[in-house]
Amino acid sequence: MVRSWSSMEEFEAFLDDGGIVEAEDDMPDEYRTAVFRFIELHANSEQMGGLTERDWIPRTPGLRHKMSVIAKTQDEFGHAHLLYMVAADMGIKTRTEMLEDLFAGKSRFHNVFHYRVKTWAQQVAVAFLVDAAALASQQAVFKNCSYGPYRRILKRIISEEGFHMRLGEDRMMRIAQGTEMQREMFQDAMNDWWWPALQLFGPDSKPDDKLLRWHIKSERNEDLRHKWVQKFVPMLQSYGFSIPDPGLHYDDETKQWMCGPIDWEPLKKTFANVGPDSERRINEASSHWETSAWVRDALDEHARSQASLTTA
Amino acid sequence: MGARRTRRTRPLAGEPDNGVSRHQELELAVHQAVASVDDPEYPGVSIVDLGLLEAIEIDESGAVAIGLVPTFSGCPALAVIAADVSQAVDAVEGVRTTSVTWLTSPAWTVERISHDARQQLASEFTVAVEIGRRAPSCPRCGAPTVEQSLFGPSRCRSVHRCSSCHETVEVMRS
Repeated sequence: MVRSWSSMEEFEAFLDDGGIVEAEDDMPDEYRTAVFRFIELHANSEQMGGLTERDWIPRTPGLRHKMSVIAKTQDEFGHAHLLYMVAADMGIKTRTEMLEDLFAGKSRFHNVFHYRVKTWAQQVAVAFLVDAAALASQQAVFKNCSYGPYRRILKRIISEEGFHMRLGEDRMMRIAQGTEMQREMFQDAMNDWWWPALQLFGPDSKPDDKLLRWHIKSERNEDLRHKWVQKFVPMLQSYGFSIPDPGLHYDDETKQWMCGPIDWEPLKKTFANVGPDSERRINEASSHWETSAWVRDALDEHARSQASLTTA
Repeated sequence: MGARRTRRTRPLAGEPDNGVSRHQELELAVHQAVASVDDPEYPGVSIVDLGLLEAIEIDESGAVAIGLVPTFSGCPALAVIAADVSQAVDAVEGVRTTSVTWLTSPAWTVERISHDARQQLASEFTVAVEIGRRAPSCPRCGAPTVEQSLFGPSRCRSVHRCSSCHETVEVMRS
């Protein structure tokens, strides 16, 4: 059954009422485009995240951590796979178009994948800080998400990301209880990754943010960021690490941790794909796509020969 | 539910040989403790319902040995699940020590997943279970699904698409 709405007002009333939009519905074009862009950004980020994770498979210390890095790599690519399927169903770009745009540097992906992960301690910091930030954003989307196919995929992604966070916490605890040198490496990693992780939530939401109005997001970016700060500042301090924010202070009246001023320039650069490691990342992803072309060709050929066998 | 094999030891000294012995009570409590552990990737779905529990052995001194089977041997959740099981069983009154072992046989198969867990995976996670060679049905509309790729986010799941409502479905398989 294809549902349609005669006006945007009627559609918004449906959404405000807790209505869930399905792929076959005749949704307003603006909504379709906004939701598609949001899912494409998520898919691209999982894809680029998978490549980062993959880089660490040979360099990960110990079999136990290595197993978890291998599995996490598969998780991220699997998530990208599911999300690209859901995004392609919206009929704006095909899966191949999305991937080609990503590898040509024409699409966006999350800011944290525009930086280079230089040491194992940094990889731990990313797993610990960034995964938690990504999970908090995804949970806020899942809570009230009006687009059914995305909501159902998110439910599974969130359970898996929750598991990644547990692995990240486990790695952080090990390094925090490690040698002085390991602790120093982790502090250095915090200094490099605190701000990018915090900026993953994005700049303050605009008052008329459509994603909020259409129940894709359920919380404002600044509120999510603030909650994340409340959790991670005391946790890191309890392990004896410091936060690289000279303006950070505890407000006695509100009993809340308050950040110093945030420099948004680095985030803007990542939006334009000119972050510190954007070029290398995109080129590397693109060269994987080219060198694996023969696999796709072989699969297509196999599908064609199977089809000709059944018709013969 | 997966096959559960338990080795019966003789009744403890002074306890009745008929009815529910203290040993059986303890065994039941340990079983419940293991069942309280959820799959880390499917919150709310018990590992016992997923068929991971193979054996519980309890000796006279209260030493408990739990045997679990993994869905696949490289599963990254093994350490986390074992730690959760160990913690839950340690908390049972009458348990002195707990050891958890991942067994290499029998192999886990989807047939070990309970009926309830199948329903739960379908309704809460849009995950179907592949039994035999029949195309799994879509958790959303019941129509057959078509495989898109052999692997999804995990080696125990493939990615399908519903032939009717086009839903993206993950399928657990052996």
